[in-house]
Amino acid sequence: MISKLLESLYTKVFINIVIENSQTVVYVEVCSKKSVLQNMHKYFDTTTMNSKMYEFIHAYYKESPFCYVSILDKSPLQGAIPTCDVKEMSRYCDINSSEHRCFSKDWAYYTSEYDLEAIKHEYRSAGVDFIFSPFVIMANFFKDKIDNTLSMFVLLEDNYISFSVFDNSKLLYAEYLNMEHHKESDELLMESPLEDDELDGIDLEEIDIDDDSSGFDDFTNIEDLDSGEAIDEFSQEQEIKEIITKEEYSPTDGFNEDYQRFSLIKGALNTFYKDPKYNSKFIESIYIADGVGVTNDLKNYLEEEMFLSVYVRKIDLAVALCDMAKAEI
Amino acid sequence: MKYSYIKPRSKTIFTKDVLLLLAFFSVTMVMLFGTYAFLLFRDYRFTQDMLDINEQKSELRASILKMSNEIATIEKQVLLSEKVFTKNSVLKESISNLFDLVPSRITLSEAKIMENGLVLYGITPNKDVYNFMLQAPLRSIFHRTYSSFYPDKNGWLRFVSTNYIDEEEELSSEN
Repeated sequence: MISKLLESLYTKVFINIVIENSQTVVYVEVCSKKSVLQNMHKYFDTTTMNSKMYEFIHAYYKESPFCYVSILDKSPLQGAIPTCDVKEMSRYCDINSSEHRCFSKDWAYYTSEYDLEAIKHEYRSAGVDFIFSPFVIMANFFKDKIDNTLSMFVLLEDNYISFSVFDNSKLLYAEYLNMEHHKESDELLMESPLEDDELDGIDLEEIDIDDDSSGFDDFTNIEDLDSGEAIDEFSQEQEIKEIITKEEYSPTDGFNEDYQRFSLIKGALNTFYKDPKYNSKFIESIYIADGVGVTNDLKNYLEEEMFLSVYVRKIDLAVALCDMAKAEI
Repeated sequence: MKYSYIKPRSKTIFTKDVLLLLAFFSVTMVMLFGTYAFLLFRDYRFTQDMLDINEQKSELRASILKMSNEIATIEKQVLLSEKVFTKNSVLKESISNLFDLVPSRITLSEAKIMENGLVLYGITPNKDVYNFMLQAPLRSIFHRTYSSFYPDKNGWLRFVSTNYIDEEEELSSEN
């Protein structure tokens, strides 16, 4: 009671760290009981904690004993799953090496325990109070839409895309997509097109254990081509080729990135439709939380090629992170 | 809401600086209150001592008064004793003088000394011996002298001499 009373006399400082591709955004908000006294964004040309960032954070740290440091989780091994039951979770992720939290008992989000420890270790000098999943930020950002629509919801970060499908607040599918990873794999595909055949050749879905013939022989087998799996694989291959050709003609990086995002969204949606683990439904609209400032091209791609109704909302990830931290205390 | 993967570190207003400041103020306050308590105690003791001294003072005053009264009484008693002693000395001298007055031929059997008189009982061989040798000096001392005789078995006379000093005459003579 006394501590609460004394706490109200102090200002609260929220330091929010969002790591981007080549820089780190630190958003600081100094709040009194009800109002925001000061807020500012500071950009550091580093993705790790350096002395400049530490000094900046420490200066605010000294202002109040009630200083909270929040970080947006960037673990590539994170995601969200449409269940909150621990037994069912193992179907979607390795729960032994993951830390998970339930969201409204309907769905859960998880991340790698190792990556959490890595974040804590990286920011041990400043200390970390909250680590938030981008899926939670997205769920809060689109709370008004998630509760009453069947749509795709996408949170665009600098290098990552949080992709999810909600049906009236019930999560159907979610995936955390790393653009850099996909870009590298795409570049590999571009540099050595001959390896496509080899990559396709070692695809487990195409290997028939009982069949003694080699993988190359499968292409000549007309019976295999008639099967549904072969057609699916063929269509995926076609998509990859489309991505390669489109990237070759891309005039700018922004265009590249937007197309890459489009292709990732398209790929994720395909997975949602095809993977039997997920209860797939036909999606007609997509809500995008734009945290990077995409061009209108992405919207055009989605509307013209996938015939989706696209709604784009700007989001300041650091501010959203700050709002989450405020709600936590 | 509890959506964070980790719990926030416990926050307290008691940082190192605040603790140091609190410790300093606590020590100062303890010293101040200690000094205040010591002064209060000393003040209380001083008041108590003052009351005790006042009580002792009043007791001593009462004792001095009592002793003064006793001294006055003793002085009176001393005066009285001196007076008695003087009187006794006078009486002794008077008695001695009286017995010196009695001639050897007269024998006293009893003498009563009173405040303003003297009664003598005795035996005399005859009236003349009495009249000349005893009555004459008695008359010079006392204002009034009465003598009566009655014969004894052996032919001598028993006498009773009653002598008085008149105070009025004595006072007038003294004046």
